[in-house]
Amino acid sequence: MNDYKAIMIGGSAGSFQVVSRIIAALPANYPLPILMCLHRLKHIRSGFVEALSIKSNLPIIEPHDKEPLKAGRIYLAPANYHMYIELGNRFSLSTEDVVNHSRPSIDLSFFSASYNFKKKLVGIILSGANKDGALGLKSVTDNGGLTIVQDPKECQVPTMTTASMNATKVDYVFSTKQIIDFLLKLA
Amino acid sequence: MVENIGIVDTRNIISAVTDTYGFDMSDYTFTILKRRLIHAINTFGSHSADDFADKIRRKVIALDDFLFTVSLEVTEFFRDPSLWRELRDKYLSEISRAADSRIWMPNVTSGDELFSLAIVMNEGGLQGKIKIDASCPSQKHVELVKKGGNYDQKKIEVSEANYTRYVGKTQFASYYTLSDNRAIMKPTLLNDVTLDVQTDILNASPSKKYKMVIYRNKLLQFNIPLYDKVIRKLVDSLEIGGYLVIGNMETLEYSEASKKLQIVNANEKIYKKRVD
Repeated sequence: MNDYKAIMIGGSAGSFQVVSRIIAALPANYPLPILMCLHRLKHIRSGFVEALSIKSNLPIIEPHDKEPLKAGRIYLAPANYHMYIELGNRFSLSTEDVVNHSRPSIDLSFFSASYNFKKKLVGIILSGANKDGALGLKSVTDNGGLTIVQDPKECQVPTMTTASMNATKVDYVFSTKQIIDFLLKLA
Repeated sequence: MVENIGIVDTRNIISAVTDTYGFDMSDYTFTILKRRLIHAINTFGSHSADDFADKIRRKVIALDDFLFTVSLEVTEFFRDPSLWRELRDKYLSEISRAADSRIWMPNVTSGDELFSLAIVMNEGGLQGKIKIDASCPSQKHVELVKKGGNYDQKKIEVSEANYTRYVGKTQFASYYTLSDNRAIMKPTLLNDVTLDVQTDILNASPSKKYKMVIYRNKLLQFNIPLYDKVIRKLVDSLEIGGYLVIGNMETLEYSEASKKLQIVNANEKIYKKRVD
C-alpha cells in the first residue's frame, strides 16, 4: 500500500468541489505528491491555484517546465500547457495542439505519469463532461498502477467517469468520502 | 497507424537521424519528442518505428522533411495576449528608438509568433524601425511562412479571441485571406523580416548583437544540458540592456547564463541583460 510514488487526479466539469473536498482532507504532512490535471479556461492564467489553496493544508503549485517533482505538494497543470512527468521525476510542459479539445489534456498527463511511475501510480478520474482521461486511466491499468473513478451516480457530469469505466477495468468506484479515506490510508 | 513507441524505439530513431544527417536530438525532452516522432511515423506512412528509422538511414526521408514534420508548433496567434500588449506598449517602442534596432526570433515553425509580432509592429507604426531576423528549422518551414502559412479554422477562431483580448486596432480577419477554409496571412506583414533556415540554433552566429530575442515555449523541447547551451547562445546574442522573452511557464533558473539577466516582467517572463 505504501509503495505508491504519486497520485494523479483528472477532472473537468463538476470536479472543482470534489477536488476541494479531497485536498482539504489531506494533512500538511501528506507524504505523496498529488498531480492534478483539471480542465480549465486556456486564457485565464491566474486564480485557480488561489481558489484551490483556500482550504488546502498543502502547497498548491503550477509547475514550471523542468521543475523537479517533490513529495508533500499538490501540482496543478497550468493553463494552456500540457503537463508531462519525465523520467527522472521532472515536469515538462508542452504547447502541442489540444487533445480532446483540451490543453491541458488529462489523457496526455496520465500517459506520461503512468509510463514514468508504472505500478507505483494511483490514477483517479472525477466528474467531467467529455471522455478526456479515459484512455489515460487505461494507461495506468496497462502499466500496473491502481485506478479509481468517482462513482458516476455522485458525479455532477458522469461522462468522464463512465468513459473511463468503459475504457478499462477500474479497481475501485468510490464516492468522494471513500476516495478521501483511501488517500489517507496511503499516508 | 502507430499509436505508441517506447524509449528504445525513440533512441533508435535518434541514432538514425544522428548517424545519417549529423543532427543530434538525444538531449530533447523525451515525452515531447516521442509524441512528435509518432506523428512523423504516421505522416510518412511507416508501419513501425524500425521502418521509420530504416527510411531515415536510406535517406528516403530527407532531413528537411523530417524536421518540418517533427518540429513542435506553437498552435495559436497572440498566445498570452497580455505579453503582446506589454511588448506593444513598452518594449518595442523603446527599442525602436535606437538606430539599427534588431530582434532575433529563432526556431519559427508554424509562424504564429512571427506574424503576431509583425502585426504588433504594424499597428504600432514600427514597420521600418525594427528589423527582425527570424529562422526556421527547415526550408519547408521558410517557404510556408513566407507564403503566409496555412492555418485551420479552429486555430483562427482561438487566435481571433486572443487578438480581441490583446485589444488590437482592427479585426484579426483583416490580416488574412481565406482559401478552402484555410487562412493565409498577408505575406506583406513580413516586409521587415529576414527569414532563413537554421537547423541547429547552436550553430547560429549572429553578425551583431540584438535588442531583443523572442524564444517563447521553445526551451520546452530540450533537456537541461541542451537547454543550458541554448540559453547561453540566446544571452550571448543580446546586447547589454537587450531583452529576452520566453514562455510564461518556462524558467531560466537551471542555467548559469541566467545570472547575466535580471527579470523585468515576471508575469510575462521578460528579462533584461545586465552584463556580458
